[in-house]
Amino acid sequence: MTAEPFTPTDVTWTPVSRRLVGARLTVAACVLGPLFVGLVVVAALTAPGVWAAPAVVALVAAWLCWLVPRQVRAMAYAERADDLLVRRGIMFRRLVVVPYGRMQYVDVNAGPLARRFGIASVQLHTASPATTAEIDGLPPEEAARLRDRLASRGEARLAGL
Amino acid sequence: MSAGDGAGVRRDTAPGPAPAPTDVDLATADWRRMHPITPALRGWKTLAVVVAVGWYQLGDHLHDAEGLVQGGRWLIAVGAVAAIVLVASAYATLAWRVTRFAVTDDAVHLNTGVLFRQHRQARLDRLQAVDVVQPLLARLVGLAELKLDVAGGAGANVTLSYLRESDALALRAELLALAAGLRRPAAPAAAPEPAGVVPPAPAHAVVPGGAVSGSTTPGTAAAHPVRPAFEEAPEREVYEVPMPRLIGASLRSAGAVMIAVFLVVAVVVTVLSRDVGAAFAFLPALFGGVGAFWSRINQGASFRAAISPDGIRLRHGLTEARTQTVPPGRVQAIRLTQGLWWRGRDWWRVEMNVAGYGQGADVQRETVLHPVATRAEAMTALWLVLPDLGVGDPATVVDAALSGRDGDGGFTPAPRRARWVDPIGWRRRGVLVTDRALLTRSGRLRRQVEVVPHERTQSLGLQQGPIQRRLRLATFLVHSTPGPVRPSVWHLDEHAAAALLDEQAERARTARAVATPEQWMRAVSDGGS
Repeated sequence: MTAEPFTPTDVTWTPVSRRLVGARLTVAACVLGPLFVGLVVVAALTAPGVWAAPAVVALVAAWLCWLVPRQVRAMAYAERADDLLVRRGIMFRRLVVVPYGRMQYVDVNAGPLARRFGIASVQLHTASPATTAEIDGLPPEEAARLRDRLASRGEARLAGL
Repeated sequence: MSAGDGAGVRRDTAPGPAPAPTDVDLATADWRRMHPITPALRGWKTLAVVVAVGWYQLGDHLHDAEGLVQGGRWLIAVGAVAAIVLVASAYATLAWRVTRFAVTDDAVHLNTGVLFRQHRQARLDRLQAVDVVQPLLARLVGLAELKLDVAGGAGANVTLSYLRESDALALRAELLALAAGLRRPAAPAAAPEPAGVVPPAPAHAVVPGGAVSGSTTPGTAAAHPVRPAFEEAPEREVYEVPMPRLIGASLRSAGAVMIAVFLVVAVVVTVLSRDVGAAFAFLPALFGGVGAFWSRINQGASFRAAISPDGIRLRHGLTEARTQTVPPGRVQAIRLTQGLWWRGRDWWRVEMNVAGYGQGADVQRETVLHPVATRAEAMTALWLVLPDLGVGDPATVVDAALSGRDGDGGFTPAPRRARWVDPIGWRRRGVLVTDRALLTRSGRLRRQVEVVPHERTQSLGLQQGPIQRRLRLATFLVHSTPGPVRPSVWHLDEHAAAALLDEQAERARTARAVATPEQWMRAVSDGGS
């Protein structure tokens, strides 16, 4: 094992699509934008001390603009011969190893916004609810390929519970 | 070690051939009904609720009620109640008429629903456990409920209620034998049919000589329904919980302590305030405590465990008798815990994860493998699940797991720097990997040991928070099926944890390849064909 426990070197990590940054920031903007505008209006109409509120919102937005790209960069997955590795998180890092033979089903999700950005998410389910193996931000063709590949590998290595 | 572990060759990783039964199979299948008094047994609770609500309403409007009686309008009230009862029983009877089940070689089929028909099928090769449950009332009239647990979430279980007790037991033996991969015997057993339970299904156009499913099973040709002669697998009792110990253990539980505290407080308050009314404020809490205490006793009473070729048999319950059969290899993980109050007696509570259990309302009573075990019994319980721990000297290792700390028994402990994040328990935290299972150890005050057989590992995880990262620590997780056991090892050295993750993935894979097949008797009967 190398110096970095969360990034074993003997596997090739596939990062998720950078378009996920856009999608996540858009969601954040949809929430923070109206809030910011509303607070600015309120501040303009009332005391100058209230300007602190939109300032905080702006700070949060700036922080997200810095954080989200880093978060997305930290998300990656790797297909090994017998299992799938999913990695995420910077502050709180998570690594999940899901054997193909343990997969019960695979979900592919793409909401309207995700479709606009050309991404989809793939989620693996085992018999354990604790398995949180979700890969967000995959290009649709990659998501479809991964789904089929996981399904066929799962079938080949199918085991009971 | 055990006769039932059948550690044979796994012939095939794929589950047995279980094609969806064709319409022909189901048409010729032997459809049976529940016992005729099922509606009454199921309905009495509803009736009780209606009566209780009516009583409360009456209590609220006592004057109205008097008016009702005097005005002669009571006839209308009684009539209304009678009409409701009539309609309800008519519906219940109708529901009983459409509720039918059939057992084919591969699955149990259950048809229910008057307006919304439901056909449910439980595949026998996915059977996780079979329970025979007898609530008090059903027990008094000699009926039982048969519950088939398949790993499909809370709503996926098939419950056959109510059957005659002997029929339920025979059916259980049959289902377990079929699930084990045995075939129905070639000669039809001429067992006398109990009347009432098995009326010939309406559309029961059976061609004499027609097989139920496939060409390999000529035995189920039936002019009338056949009860295959599957004997109940022999069993050997391994432990029993004596009542005094159960009561003693319950008295030493947190619930009992709560009751005592509340009682004392209530008495003190009453004395100080010279008002009995004040004590009543504590009644709800007291009832809660007593309820928890009672359910502990009730569920653990006459707890017996036995081992048989069909797996682990558990019997327990004071008012509601429950017999559980968990086939070999169905226990996904077990946990041994010892609260602070139990340490003096060295008692342990043993719980397990079984894929069919762990959801729904009965989690508390279904997942207990031993309510109060001595150390020796805890070891036996562990042996029931895992006949071979994969170490040379299991006793020493289990001792080290139960009460050891640091590197005792070959455990990989949390490093010394883990004390910054876990000042009390860090010396107890540790993990041990044997040839067959993964053992985790934790808890200084409330001791806890979790055991997961390698082949039952679902997936693995590694986590690290910011402080852990600073201290170069990481948490290792084993994901198991839903249930009380959620194995994890906190604050391991990060490299040790990462190495463990890698090795454990590999070990789980090799263990799965040689594990007992889902149809556990196949390993014996087919000789690995």
